[in-house]
Amino acid sequence: MPEQYDLIQAAVKIIEDRRSIRQYTDEPVSEQDLRMILEAARQAPSGENAQPWRFIIVTDPATRRRLGAIASGGSGRRFTAEFVTQKMQERFASLEDEAKRKAAFEKLTSGQVSAFLAEAPVDIVVCGRKDVWDLPYDTSAAIENMLLMVTALGLGACWVIAPCIDIRDEERLKDLLGVPEGLKIVSIVAVGHAARYPRPRPRIPLHELVYREKWGVPYYENKEES
Amino acid sequence: MSERQVSLDYINSIVHDLQKAFWDERGKGARFRVTTVGRDYFLSKCLPRIQTKEVEPIIEVIKQVLREEGLVAEVSHQIEDKLLRVQVRGCLHVPVEQRLAARGVEPFTCVPANLVVLAIEEVLDRPVELAEIKVEDGGCQILLVLFDSRPTV
Repeated sequence: MPEQYDLIQAAVKIIEDRRSIRQYTDEPVSEQDLRMILEAARQAPSGENAQPWRFIIVTDPATRRRLGAIASGGSGRRFTAEFVTQKMQERFASLEDEAKRKAAFEKLTSGQVSAFLAEAPVDIVVCGRKDVWDLPYDTSAAIENMLLMVTALGLGACWVIAPCIDIRDEERLKDLLGVPEGLKIVSIVAVGHAARYPRPRPRIPLHELVYREKWGVPYYENKEES
Repeated sequence: MSERQVSLDYINSIVHDLQKAFWDERGKGARFRVTTVGRDYFLSKCLPRIQTKEVEPIIEVIKQVLREEGLVAEVSHQIEDKLLRVQVRGCLHVPVEQRLAARGVEPFTCVPANLVVLAIEEVLDRPVELAEIKVEDGGCQILLVLFDSRPTV
């Protein structure tokens, strides 16, 4: 028997249940589900209604392996640079378990943290037209819509920037996928059936995020202190 | 070729303003979008002079070009395992880095560093990452990471 929710409950549940899924089963994503995900993207808000988003659906295993390799290479370079400058150690200072710290450093500096693009059944490459004003904002809204629809469908997804944040990697991706000069590759969204559903990541409390009328005046009381 | 001269102060003020504007837009991610700055210069001035497949001689060619073209006064380097340390003094663009640092912005791009990266990547297909630019005593200490190979499929 399916669970029943009113509209507000459903919205909250979908938002709260969304996770970054990095491990997938072999089960394919149905064409019906894929269409729902892309329709959700298409309905995102867009400045001037320019709708700059374009999508490439990659299911070919060889191409997915290339995407995984490019993502892995980019992450490995950046995290190694962060490691050798001690910035990674500062970021993980609160993680006291030495074995866990070492494992995290190894996963990040090796680039394996981003290699899962090769394993996801579908990689949706999100491109944006450069001849519009709001490319990054519009495409990000489309991506979030996709992630929420993925969650509603009981699938898993991860928003991956690793293979295109560095212009050198973006150039490799554009060559691989034949993306023309007038477009930018913004991100890749990996989609599949989750093999592992992680715990929620910690979130900064609202009283540290929201100010009243001007910067610095908390809108919410810190109830832990009162 | 035009004989018209423009002041270095003007060029550096514009380069600074462009970098600051890009930083304001993209924050810490800006550094990853400027890794190919200097590519045309590299292709025309550096690549034709590189006749080797070894890292050290490639870096020496870049150092020669930087000095001969008057982009830097002094440049030296050391390789320790995966780390490549480059010291630059008298760089034409150091006022840009100094102005950024004075405004609390960690310098995030460097043409001499990019030329080294572009050379090693182009000639050897070995990935290189610019890890840090430190402005100290009027010069720059640049830290790069050399990787053996790219991840393959």
